[in-house]
Amino acid sequence: MIVGSQKPIDEIWEMVKDFKKILVFGCNTCVAICHAGGDKEAETIATLLRMRASQEGVDMQVDHTSVMRHCEPEYFDPVMDDVKKYDLILSTACGVGVNFLSDRTGIIPVYPGINTSFYGAVPEPGVFEELCAGCGDCILHMTGGICPIARCSKTLMNGPCGGTKEGKCEVSDEMDCAWYLIVERMKMLGTLEKLSEVLPPRDWSTSRDGGPRRVSMEHIRAYEEKEGEKTETAGGKKE
Amino acid sequence: MSDGSIKEKNKPHKEWAAELKEQRPYSPCRAACPVNTDVQAYVGLIAQGRYAEALEVIRSVNPIASVCSVICHHPCEQACRRCAVDEPLAVRHLKRFALEKAADYRRNKRRLVKQTRDKKIAIIGSGPSGLTAANDLADLGYGVTIYERHPVLGGMLSSAIPTYRLPRETLQEDIDDIIAKGVEARTNCEIGRDITMNEIIDKHDAILIAVGLSESRALNIPGADVPGVLLAIPFLEDAAFQKKIELGSKVLVIGGGNVAIDVARTAKRLGAGYVEMVCLESAEEMPAWKWEVDEAVEEDIAISHRWGPKAVRRDNGRITGLEVVKVLSVFDSNGRFSPTFDNDTTSFIEADTVIITIGQMTNLSFLEDSQVQVDERGRVVWDPETHMSSLRGVFVSGEVVTGPGSAIQAVASGHRSAMAMHVYLEGHEIEGVLPTYEKEPIAQLPGDVADVIHREPRMKVEHLPPETRCSSFMQFEFGYDEESALKEAGRCRGCGGGAVVDTDKCMACLTCQRICPYGAPLVTSVSEIRSEYCQACGLCAPECPGQAISMVSYDVGEVRSNMSSLVGSVDPKRQEPAVVALICSHHVGIKGFELPDNVRSVPIHCTSRVDIIDLLKAFECGADGVAVVRCPAGACKYKDIETRVSARVRRTKELIHMLGMDAGRIELLQAVSDDGNPYAVVCADFSEKVKQIVLRTGR
Amino acid sequence: MKSGSNLERVILSGQPAVTAELGPPMSADGHEVVKKAQLLKGNCDAANVTDCQTAVVRISSIAAAAIAFQQGLEPVMQMTCRDRNRIAIQADLLGAAAMGLKNCLCIAGDHQSFSAAGRLKGHPGAKNVYDVDTCQLVSIMKKMRDNGLQEGGDTLEIAPKFFIGASWTPMGDPIDFRPVNLMKKVNAGADFIQTQGIYDIEGFRSQMEKIRNMGLHERTAILGGIIVPRSGMMLKYMDSSVAGVSVPKSLIDRMMKAKAAAGDDKKKARQLQEGEGKKITVELIHQVLETPGVRGVHIQAIEWESAIADIVKAAGLYPRPNIPAE
Repeated sequence: MIVGSQKPIDEIWEMVKDFKKILVFGCNTCVAICHAGGDKEAETIATLLRMRASQEGVDMQVDHTSVMRHCEPEYFDPVMDDVKKYDLILSTACGVGVNFLSDRTGIIPVYPGINTSFYGAVPEPGVFEELCAGCGDCILHMTGGICPIARCSKTLMNGPCGGTKEGKCEVSDEMDCAWYLIVERMKMLGTLEKLSEVLPPRDWSTSRDGGPRRVSMEHIRAYEEKEGEKTETAGGKKE
Repeated sequence: MSDGSIKEKNKPHKEWAAELKEQRPYSPCRAACPVNTDVQAYVGLIAQGRYAEALEVIRSVNPIASVCSVICHHPCEQACRRCAVDEPLAVRHLKRFALEKAADYRRNKRRLVKQTRDKKIAIIGSGPSGLTAANDLADLGYGVTIYERHPVLGGMLSSAIPTYRLPRETLQEDIDDIIAKGVEARTNCEIGRDITMNEIIDKHDAILIAVGLSESRALNIPGADVPGVLLAIPFLEDAAFQKKIELGSKVLVIGGGNVAIDVARTAKRLGAGYVEMVCLESAEEMPAWKWEVDEAVEEDIAISHRWGPKAVRRDNGRITGLEVVKVLSVFDSNGRFSPTFDNDTTSFIEADTVIITIGQMTNLSFLEDSQVQVDERGRVVWDPETHMSSLRGVFVSGEVVTGPGSAIQAVASGHRSAMAMHVYLEGHEIEGVLPTYEKEPIAQLPGDVADVIHREPRMKVEHLPPETRCSSFMQFEFGYDEESALKEAGRCRGCGGGAVVDTDKCMACLTCQRICPYGAPLVTSVSEIRSEYCQACGLCAPECPGQAISMVSYDVGEVRSNMSSLVGSVDPKRQEPAVVALICSHHVGIKGFELPDNVRSVPIHCTSRVDIIDLLKAFECGADGVAVVRCPAGACKYKDIETRVSARVRRTKELIHMLGMDAGRIELLQAVSDDGNPYAVVCADFSEKVKQIVLRTGR
Repeated sequence: MKSGSNLERVILSGQPAVTAELGPPMSADGHEVVKKAQLLKGNCDAANVTDCQTAVVRISSIAAAAIAFQQGLEPVMQMTCRDRNRIAIQADLLGAAAMGLKNCLCIAGDHQSFSAAGRLKGHPGAKNVYDVDTCQLVSIMKKMRDNGLQEGGDTLEIAPKFFIGASWTPMGDPIDFRPVNLMKKVNAGADFIQTQGIYDIEGFRSQMEKIRNMGLHERTAILGGIIVPRSGMMLKYMDSSVAGVSVPKSLIDRMMKAKAAAGDDKKKARQLQEGEGKKITVELIHQVLETPGVRGVHIQAIEWESAIADIVKAAGLYPRPNIPAE
């Protein structure tokens, strides 16, 4: 899932202070699971903003609501009429949600309430770990299921570097060395010899370096195009 | 200020919870109650000091609540899931406490109910069943007349149940409620003597026969006649109406039921020096409730088990005693009453008075000239599905048709018959619409949950010492004082009042499953919080990132939405800081809520329900400081609360710090256990600290 | 000959090679590079010019190497993967070759968060690149030199002829994988290897035995790394905090003893420790060179280039051989 964390309230305040009617709009999927931007955190931020407005002597209305996801229009369409009554939408969705919503709110700006961090897992409550970088060309079968792109500080394909100390990365004692883990894991799997090969320079065009990515599944979307639905819901055209 | 949410408001919490409770298994106490009294709900309200609301919950299904608060056989307690931990909750004592506390509220609420329907209803008999029907029908706007042969209303409640158990003022509270609605009471009016049944039928649109079982069965053995042999009901009636009763010095009561106990204890209070009971059953088989037997034994009443009466022996007409024969068995292999005797083994019990208490029957002679049929065994012919007798418009309820039972069972029958009469008068089919009161209870407490529940002994009530109580008909049982009542109410595990998940909002994140100390949530495609596990602590609700969890027994948004009115308008020139204290209402004692004037207290169901947003809201509404106050050390009725609550307080500190406020404005405090007012001291200390912060940093 | 560099010639001659290290300054002070080049010239076969070592901005390795080259000191330019993508790397390699540079050491580079172990502000917020890693960089350089092709496949009319080096941490974690790690660099095309600083001779020798068994010592020239100890504190720090370096207690004790001998006199304490440090260095050089499979030493006197001359002489490695180009 996508992991995010709340922005400091000062930063949010600087963004929103000139607006009069603000909606903190929560997203109840990934960012809710990581306690950054679900309904609960949306209400928390709204409360903090009202308190701040009162401290500053600013007349400001701050409300909150949430939907299950900001990244699919069917989830927020039913509340859009209400949402559009505000001067500003502070979305606590991940950056995907903020972008996606922003394309569909016409003249009403959508600002981010959280920092979107990474794709992560939840090893224990309240702890979130980055395990994938979405590089678009998975090599986990060659690295014992441990991703050096996401988990090595230097995204080395032929690690480890000389900075490994007691299994930890040179960046921090708190950070596992991904290559240490890879070697140990592959030893356990009996596939260490796979690591003898030098992996050639990789093609980063599948990653964000290739520009914004889009997956288009023709077999799924074909019928929608026929119906002419596409133009109705395409970004920004709904206004 | 806006309420902060653009969502459509749900229905009020109370209504929502009530509907939800109907859809889910009942708490075992509620399911066990013949009228499904929502015990969990009113005990929860008592725990929070909300006695008037508790009374409303009780009275909503039980018009003779005060009566039940002293004499009910409380099947709720027998069903209490706390039995798997230590002892059941003292539900009846708590009911009595709430009713006593809310007595003024109750009296002030009495109002005439406007008659909105032109139909007239007669109710024959004013016992629990008749009173209930009168109450319900009056509420529906009917003109109701009660016919009672005794000079006072109440049936057996006023004429047979001894006042040491049921003081007449207690009964009167219930009767006053009903009469206040405009119910007409014709006392001293016996059908067949003062007015005929047919007259009644002619004058009314519907009639309810609720005459109960008001006659004692006699015993057909040699010597069982006057003088010196008495029957239970006349004896109890005479005692109730303070008529003179001739008793010898050695009274022998034949019978082992609850009435027999009443008779024996009444005899004792009337001055009988020695009272003995003789019954067919062993101590375990005796039909009387164990606690009543124990109370009788305390009063020095002897009980001879497993002897059957054979003959009353006399000497010159004066009774010398009872010859008894050994009982071999009381019940047959199917559990039916079918005693067998060893005629070779007999004994003799000395006595000069014998009171026969072997059961009751009804007297239906008043129906003789009417078209209401009575069967060959002397019972009214009726249809249990409709409560109607053989004559349309004439209904029956209570023990006259159900056989002997408890007061609260008669209330259930009264509700059904009132509903039947209403449906009949409306011209609808009755069959299938009457309430059954049969609901599935929540499953038994799982062993691993029972194991982790804090052991707390049941709060005892005081009784008058036996030597004192036997010398008068004064009520022998005391009620709880407030501290004991709050403590006892705190023992309730809130079965059925716990967490529920709004599946539209749940994203199956596992937070609740990870946090619950009792393993109640099971997250699959969405979270399901299993009610047999849930202890209603509320720990999960504030952790849910989707705010998908609600609590049945209280509104999780209540603290937030009420905060503004609670804090009120804060004087800008105030000397003392405005402090909001969210206080655990368990184990407190009422003194705990007496706090310094500048401290606004919010009694809450355990600090586990405190949400970061609640705390922020207090500041938003103008509070200078906010205290979350836990119950005294070791007193918490739940498991693993502190870690989560202190984490929330720490997070709130961070958040207010981000707003430039001193983090010391919010603290998690713990009440001092050995203080008479456990919360006042810590709140005062905190208030002083906040005052210093305000002086240092400004408002 | 692959590059024709002096370092390559010395190694080919079979004599123990000596490389040293030149740390460029953190300002546009070309004189500092000149000064350091003069200190090292003649005392080594080539000197590594570090590439923003410890993730701190300094004169670039290429520019500093060019200055050193002008001063008559053969440089080993360094190229980290941290700061450049394959386009910048190759462009810089072409430029370096065009200026006459012939040696290049490929390294991953300290992570940008390192900031001289926190002693300087550095640029911890920098974006790192790591488009390619060390092995891949070695292979790119080899492909350019031997196949006349850019990584992407375009032809190089004049190929850059580098003597290609890579670093190796023989005693780093996971220790049993380190020989494989070296093998990959050799397979990728590393002509010479400079190791992380060695104090634990036993440990190093045990790793070298594995390397010899794999035959790697014959396919590449391994130069043992020697970090000149300057104080007891430095040794302690390296032992506790530098990845892949462990320092025997006996060495730390020797330095601490030297310090203690000076009493409260700080200046004397420094002199005594520096003296002891040089002695230890010489001993280490001998022990490393005696290790089978080792073809030279890489002596790093960090910010103490002036010590190199004494050390090389004391180790009997002076003068450096003069092997003319073909």
